[in-house]
Amino acid sequence: MFEISLRYKVDSDSESACSNSEAESDEETDDSDDSPKRGVQRRRLKNQKASRTLKGTPRAPRNTPRSTPNIPSRHDPRPSPASHLEEARSRLHVSAVPESLPCRENEFSDIFGFVESKIVDGTGGCMYISGVPGTGKTATVKEVIRVLEAERDEGNLNAFKFVEVNGMRVTEPRQAYVEILKALTGVKATADHAANMLDNMFTHPAPRSDPVVLLVDELDLLWTRKQDVMYNIFDWPTKQKAKLIVLAVANTMDLPERMMIKRVASRLGLTRMTFQPYTFRQLEQIVASRLKGLKVFDGDAVQLAARKVAAVSGDARRALDICRKATEIAEEKTSDSKMVTMMDINSAVEQMFCSPKIMAIRNLSVQEQMFLRAVVAEFQRAGIEEAQFSKLYDQHQILCRFEGIHSPTMTEVAALCYRLGSIRLLLVEPGHLDLSMRVRLNVSQDDIMYALRPEGSSDL
Amino acid sequence: SVFDPLQEVQQILRRRISQTNCPPSICGYEKERKQLHDLIKRTAVMGESNSLLLIGPRGCGKSMLIQNVLEDVYQEEKIKQDLLLVKLNGLLQSDDRIALREITRQLQLENTVGDKVFGSFAETLQFLLEALKKGDESSKPIVFVLEEFDLFAQHKNQTLLYNLFDISQSAQAPICVIGITCRLDVVELLEKRVKSRFSHRQIYLFNKLTLTQYRRLCFDYLSLPGDFPDKSFAKNWNSNIEVMLDEVAVKDVLERQFSLMNDVRGLLSLLTYPVCNISAAHPTITASDLITSFKLISTDTKSAMLHGVSILELAIIIAMKHLTDIYEGEPFNFEMVYSEYLKFARHRSGMQVYEKAIVMK
Repeated sequence: MFEISLRYKVDSDSESACSNSEAESDEETDDSDDSPKRGVQRRRLKNQKASRTLKGTPRAPRNTPRSTPNIPSRHDPRPSPASHLEEARSRLHVSAVPESLPCRENEFSDIFGFVESKIVDGTGGCMYISGVPGTGKTATVKEVIRVLEAERDEGNLNAFKFVEVNGMRVTEPRQAYVEILKALTGVKATADHAANMLDNMFTHPAPRSDPVVLLVDELDLLWTRKQDVMYNIFDWPTKQKAKLIVLAVANTMDLPERMMIKRVASRLGLTRMTFQPYTFRQLEQIVASRLKGLKVFDGDAVQLAARKVAAVSGDARRALDICRKATEIAEEKTSDSKMVTMMDINSAVEQMFCSPKIMAIRNLSVQEQMFLRAVVAEFQRAGIEEAQFSKLYDQHQILCRFEGIHSPTMTEVAALCYRLGSIRLLLVEPGHLDLSMRVRLNVSQDDIMYALRPEGSSDL
Repeated sequence: SVFDPLQEVQQILRRRISQTNCPPSICGYEKERKQLHDLIKRTAVMGESNSLLLIGPRGCGKSMLIQNVLEDVYQEEKIKQDLLLVKLNGLLQSDDRIALREITRQLQLENTVGDKVFGSFAETLQFLLEALKKGDESSKPIVFVLEEFDLFAQHKNQTLLYNLFDISQSAQAPICVIGITCRLDVVELLEKRVKSRFSHRQIYLFNKLTLTQYRRLCFDYLSLPGDFPDKSFAKNWNSNIEVMLDEVAVKDVLERQFSLMNDVRGLLSLLTYPVCNISAAHPTITASDLITSFKLISTDTKSAMLHGVSILELAIIIAMKHLTDIYEGEPFNFEMVYSEYLKFARHRSGMQVYEKAIVMK
């Protein structure tokens, strides 16, 4: 009663009176939809001995009115891109996933064949897909589903349902049940209850139910100590009547061997697929395919970006980001030819991959630089890579006297030390240890000497 | 009421120094400012999703730059209507749950949800993601500003960061994620999949002030603005400050403070005492004010503490010092210190020998 009154109050507060009536009608239809279904479940639960326990007692699923959260839309429509460079930039954005992914044709046909055959046969199965981030795993799977859905809509394929769960988007592994259940039936329930309902659904399916394709992204996040979530997800497809096809996506190739206990790993089966990192030719092709029909990029420029990325990670996202950054740099140029050249790519790569530590050291204050020198001197004297603060303070005093500048007090040197620690040039212990606090370098000694030498004399 | 120029001066300068008002001038950072401005503007106008990290040591003006750029962007009426801003701080939102609730609140989504904000963590996350997923190019762009970004990277599984970056990399509501941190190695804190989704745009801010710029900045902070009501007073004041800054002693103090800390906060802490010292009896800032202030800042707290101890305590400390010298930093216990003290007190001086219990105290 209280809740309802509260809701009314809130609704009358917000000026949307229509949402109120909508929500109510929504609730009503939900209830009428649910009541027979709930009855069926209750009957089923009675048949099952195991679920007669306290946990199994069916609770009425909570039907909160489905509100429609929305980001308010903008006042003016988005302007269309004005120049070639802007057009290129919007095409190069990672979110602009193309209709068909270049360089992933083999993987596409493999997954497509697997899923299609399972749907046609009306059986279940699992597939494990792995590869480092940014190699097009999720995009490929989504494309497969898109093509399959198009086929289904044309009537060439049996009907099926698609459900997606992402390990990163759930707060806790068991919440995955809730997600799946909500996507399948639209009913909200607690995690335990959802697990039971799903279990029922897959072990005793209605005879004419549609096959379900379940995409589990970021599988390693669903790991629990008992691994019950993983076990269930891979166990359902093995049930005789369940028409469930699981596509599990994760980063590491050996995840089943490393993290799963044997009975989970064996249920996962041997259908595996690894996405190799892109080679530079493939990256080049990807960028070229996005820029089809636009003359803004130098051919060599694309190649340079592709080679740089392929040498480090083979991550397509990175290549696209670099190219996008390069268009910005090209735009800033005043010259008339708005082409992205090798120089632009080069500076974009430098900005994205550069190590800022040397710049940071050069911009420190005189005394901070002096302290770093004292650290290096002390390390060279003692021969170990760790020193006590009191020793460093002595070295600092000596260096200051040597350079002929005023030596700061202990309090000030300690403050210096913490400032260097906060930007992680040094690794320091907490301050209550005072003089006996130990200090280590987070950069190499050569870097410090390199950074201080060319400028050191002119600065003093 | 009678207009009192001195009180006005105090108010202006104090506000500047406590950093409640905008600083009189921004020194340097033109390039970084332009980059940031372009990025936020593109998010606002074109609906492009972006992510960026602003890295620099403490006190180098990261938050100030963001604030300044945002104010600049908001000048345009169109953008002001369209751009939503969400500010999060790693020290306040110490947990993804709190951060999510804060996002819902700042986006003013709770109106449409009624009491649902108080649902579980999982529900809030689903709700938010749904809201963001429903948005497309036509929805209002959102700018997320995450201060103390490195603390967000310590949350469990980095769920919040993953989701924010993921939205910025997929065709959902246009968002721009700006992280502010002082750790140079912050990118290494990110998980692999989070790192892959981050666009690796980093802007580094460093204190690039030279000594002349530092002096100039000091003048900017102490001088009065052009729109000060009492013109002749302001002119007088400014010329006074200029003369004061030219004195050798002041230059020396500034140079020493600069060599210790070359950021603006160091300067401000130096200027706090002189500004607070302005009164009717002491109407101008003098060189001696600055010197006293520097002395106050640079006192060694430990030697100051030593000034306050009794003679017996001092004698014990000296005994400890002897022991440290003799045994080269080996640790010692009270018995050793006491016997050392006895040796000294009995043979070398006319000092009164205290009981063990008193020494123990």
